[in-house]
Amino acid sequence: MSRAVAIVGSGPSGCYLAQALLKAAPDLRVDLIDRLPVPYGLVRYGVAADHQGTKGVIRQFERVFERQGAGFVGNVTIGEDVSLDALREAYDAVVLAAGLSADRTLGIAGEDLQGVHRAGQLTRALYEHPDAAPLPELGSRVVIMGNGNVAIDILRLLAKTPEELAGSDLGAAPSDWLTRSGIEEIEIVGRSPASAAKFDPVMIKELVKLEGINIRVLGADRSDDPEAAKKLAALEAINGHGCGARRITFRFGLTPIELSGPDDHLKEARFLDGQGNTVILPCSAFITAIGFGAEVGLPRDLLIGEAVDREAGVLAPGLYATGWFRRGPQGTIPDNRADAQRLASHILADFEGAAALPEKPGRQAFPDWAGAVGYHGWKRIDVAEISNAPENRCRAKIASRDAMLALALQKEEVSQ
Amino acid sequence: MNIMLLYGTETGNAEMLAEDIMSELEGDHEVECRNLSDFSPDEFDAGRLHMIICSSYGDGELPASAQPFAEALKTAAPDLKGIHFGIFGLGDREYEETFGFGSGTLAELLIAHGAVQVGERITHDASGSDMAEDVAFPWASQIVTLAEEKIGEVA
Repeated sequence: MSRAVAIVGSGPSGCYLAQALLKAAPDLRVDLIDRLPVPYGLVRYGVAADHQGTKGVIRQFERVFERQGAGFVGNVTIGEDVSLDALREAYDAVVLAAGLSADRTLGIAGEDLQGVHRAGQLTRALYEHPDAAPLPELGSRVVIMGNGNVAIDILRLLAKTPEELAGSDLGAAPSDWLTRSGIEEIEIVGRSPASAAKFDPVMIKELVKLEGINIRVLGADRSDDPEAAKKLAALEAINGHGCGARRITFRFGLTPIELSGPDDHLKEARFLDGQGNTVILPCSAFITAIGFGAEVGLPRDLLIGEAVDREAGVLAPGLYATGWFRRGPQGTIPDNRADAQRLASHILADFEGAAALPEKPGRQAFPDWAGAVGYHGWKRIDVAEISNAPENRCRAKIASRDAMLALALQKEEVSQ
Repeated sequence: MNIMLLYGTETGNAEMLAEDIMSELEGDHEVECRNLSDFSPDEFDAGRLHMIICSSYGDGELPASAQPFAEALKTAAPDLKGIHFGIFGLGDREYEETFGFGSGTLAELLIAHGAVQVGERITHDASGSDMAEDVAFPWASQIVTLAEEKIGEVA
């Protein structure tokens, strides 16, 4: 018996799930459906352009398609091209692994001013996501609000010299944008004390390699907790580092209360410290990096709220969720691997328990998908991107959806 | 030769490499491949070559699947005299300071309990241009040759 599984989202959670399912049950028919014409989601558009080692998991995911027989169905949006109900009708199991890509907002006055930007929007533009808005002018004084790894990624990329981006896959336009940025000062502000910051210590330590900056750390607290102590030690190690022109300042324990400026243009950010004092940081750009929520399209809140067993990832009979979509925006790629492996066992056990039910048709129920982008179509994009990489870059991403589709659908053969 | 191929992994890259090495070796040798999380220190066998693939994670820490094994080794403190192992690391030179620490930690731990390391410990760089298997296959065949002399019996 060969059950059909549709995984919505081909990022790390979806790929790890397909890997685990097909390892245990090689006969399953597994399709990874993505709204983009290209796979790998966060690994392509969220992992920083200068963290190519982290992107090495793509080699595993390639095998999911090339050796384990999973299908890629790109450029198909659930809720637009196909309804979730239709998908559930056609597949024995549907798994939502769409991640969380919408930026959370602070909910304070002034967030709609010119000069206020959101981390997800900004990184999508930097990493040339086809739906990204153009890169904004940041001006000379940037404040980054947030202390997670995404905030540190943005800090590091804004702080790097052009030479320090060698070997990355940062595109020509974003690279040029960074070179011309004119940033003199970056302040990175955490609402929590330093001991409770969310970044990984290694992300902080990495900053000492940067040559164009000088770093100061203000107001770090103390803690005996071993995990907190590692973070504090990393901050202490970078405090005072460097004599480059760009000043980097870490600040902690500041609650943002208002963004303001004349004529709808940001001029300053106002915070309260732990003692109730107002702290004002003048800035030309304010970037919020405070976590992610669900995109419109899939009714995540409703589905998660009514889940049969949220912890196990069972939303309803035959409908599952994994990764950030299930848990919320916490945890790294390996956490999502573990999550996906647990869910794979659960799904296989459910199949076993329902062995009497007839098989469902899977992708054969969707003849329209002949026009979707398959894995071979993606490989044409991949090959073109790698062969067009300029010197000092490992890839030249194709940024427009039309250009991707033109290449991918050139001679697409429908693979079943 | 009888080979126990063990991997310590966090993202699955070391697991994939171990599977590749197994395919490479199993035509000529008897190979069993296992996650370190499913291997107990009392399963070491003096008649076998233990080939270990281990990544580093975070700030040079052991990957998740190697941690219970390392803990068990520290707690049980077995005498590993006569046990032969070779070890290959996966690392990322973006994090130069702790490059290859995971495999290094594991090697030191095994040696401290009396095991003998065969050949050199090499660490593949995920930020480099070489594929892991292109570095690991020649390493593996060299380790096997060295171990055949040392273990002195070809299965």
